[in-house]
Amino acid sequence: MTPAWVLGSVAALMLVVAAVSAARLAAGRPWRRGALIADTDVAHLLMAIAMAGMLAPDLRTLTDAPWEVIFGLLAAWFAARVARDARAHGRRTLAGGHCAPHLVHSCSMLYMFLAMTATAGAGGMGDIAGPAAMPGGPAAGEMALRYPTLALAFAFTLVGYSIWDLDQLSGRRYSVPGARLSLAGMAAQEVSVLAAGPGSAAPRNEPSAASAPDAGLPGPAAGRAVTRRASGRVAGAGAFLLAPAVTIGCRIVMGVAMAFMLFIAI
Amino acid sequence: MSEVAVAGARRWRGGPDTGTWLPAARTDARRALQLALAGGWLLDGVLQFQPFMYTRAFPHMLASAAAGNPSVVAGPVTWNANLVQHHLALLNTVFATIQLLLGLGIALRPTVRPALAASIAWSVAVWWFGEGFGGVLNGGADPVNGAPGAVIIYALLAALLWPADRSGGPAPFTAARAVGAHTARALWLVFWLSQAYFALSPANRAPQALYGMITGRESGEPGWLASLMRGAAALVAGRGLAASIVLAAALVLIAAGVYLPTAAAKPVLVLAIMVAAAIWVFGQAFGGILASGATDPNSGALLVVLALAYWPASGALPAAAAPSGPPAPSAPSGLSGEADGSVAR
Repeated sequence: MTPAWVLGSVAALMLVVAAVSAARLAAGRPWRRGALIADTDVAHLLMAIAMAGMLAPDLRTLTDAPWEVIFGLLAAWFAARVARDARAHGRRTLAGGHCAPHLVHSCSMLYMFLAMTATAGAGGMGDIAGPAAMPGGPAAGEMALRYPTLALAFAFTLVGYSIWDLDQLSGRRYSVPGARLSLAGMAAQEVSVLAAGPGSAAPRNEPSAASAPDAGLPGPAAGRAVTRRASGRVAGAGAFLLAPAVTIGCRIVMGVAMAFMLFIAI
Repeated sequence: MSEVAVAGARRWRGGPDTGTWLPAARTDARRALQLALAGGWLLDGVLQFQPFMYTRAFPHMLASAAAGNPSVVAGPVTWNANLVQHHLALLNTVFATIQLLLGLGIALRPTVRPALAASIAWSVAVWWFGEGFGGVLNGGADPVNGAPGAVIIYALLAALLWPADRSGGPAPFTAARAVGAHTARALWLVFWLSQAYFALSPANRAPQALYGMITGRESGEPGWLASLMRGAAALVAGRGLAASIVLAAALVLIAAGVYLPTAAAKPVLVLAIMVAAAIWVFGQAFGGILASGATDPNSGALLVVLALAYWPASGALPAAAAPSGPPAPSAPSGLSGEADGSVAR
């Protein structure tokens, strides 16, 4: 049996990914008019919470059925996006487009929830905390997956995308851009943090809400002055958080963790 | 860009994270093969975390590699198996983590050199302490079973895919870039001829040897794969000698292939890929991953990567004349020099 502390460590890693994704969503300032919620961050947040619950039954938040619906919807969303990308940019985007890894992640999660069976003796993937804490989870049993060939195919694909993402990340495809930030009550300003590659000019979110000054707030000049004077550290941390590289980093961690879960449950 | 409501808030918009939609950084043939190698290590690491590896079966499997080997080989193997038995959870987690880090290190461009060097050291250590030299010295080596050991093929690939370019003109194929064409061809020849030699060993040419090997792996596999393996086993049942001769002939042809002109070399490399794929599916059952208890995907997939490293270059591969510096941060393709950060020597 894979030791509980190993599974717990991976679950903790998932909680970190969930926290980072939640922070990115919050940094998008969804309470403002026109705020844009990135689909990848939503997907990462949900997947990380679900995976933590699968690894450690104490962290389980929902029964299986809601998760199946959620990941079914996410899979449909990303499938539609992949199809649209393919129509717009050619068939190569079916596998190599931006949304293809997210589609594979969503389908893998859906598969795991649908194919997971309890065999004997424990709850969760690794007999961490006894019987499952939530109704609908495996009452007793070490987890195993039906249709292991599918698990293998998903695991290979996830590892492939993770390796590709790591290569591209270190190839400076996803640099830390000049992120748009603002302090509370101040208009946002662009803060260049690191020298960037080809994506240096690309903000995280296209028409970021944080970049649009609200009516009644100080103007751009005031915002710029306050941002510079008040918190280079905060700006740096915020810009880093909003960088595309952080999304890709989360995607890599998710991919490897999912492959890990698939293999230990085959 | 489409806009949809998320979480029921009318003024929110859900949409794609367009900041990540950037052009891909440059990846040449050698970098692609390095990434395949990285994927192999990552899979190894993840497989090492399987529940089976945390049972007594793992040290027993290690100890079995000592059988029939000279004491200088068997002694360290037995010592390692005992050590693992006494600290099973800790050491297995360390092994898994090392392999995971090797994969991640090779995939990250700035760390590709130290990771490849570490992978060679780790491979040799595992080949000796964990696999008893893959049965090479005790007569148990069988190419269908992964001889001379998948892990030593990792080391060979790491050396051939080292991010450096040897001076002396364009390389005819990727594997020649780091070590030179003569050395690369010699390594290929020795490797595949040794495979042919193992195929003809007495243990492997016995009438039921290949049949027994395939059927012995069938247990626990999914129905479709077990069915394929049963079919393959039926083909070679009682024909061990003939099967060994055919396999050895194919392996000798493959060994000589890289010395042939390009037009003839390509079909031979295709043959190498087909033989490797057949071995991986029918003889190795994808390393036994689907039946649980696999420590790695075995040698079949690695042999395919090896063959691709010898695929004749369509254009001249970089010579070493012009050293390539570190990646330029502002280069549109992400890297201004070689895709794998290689330097001439």
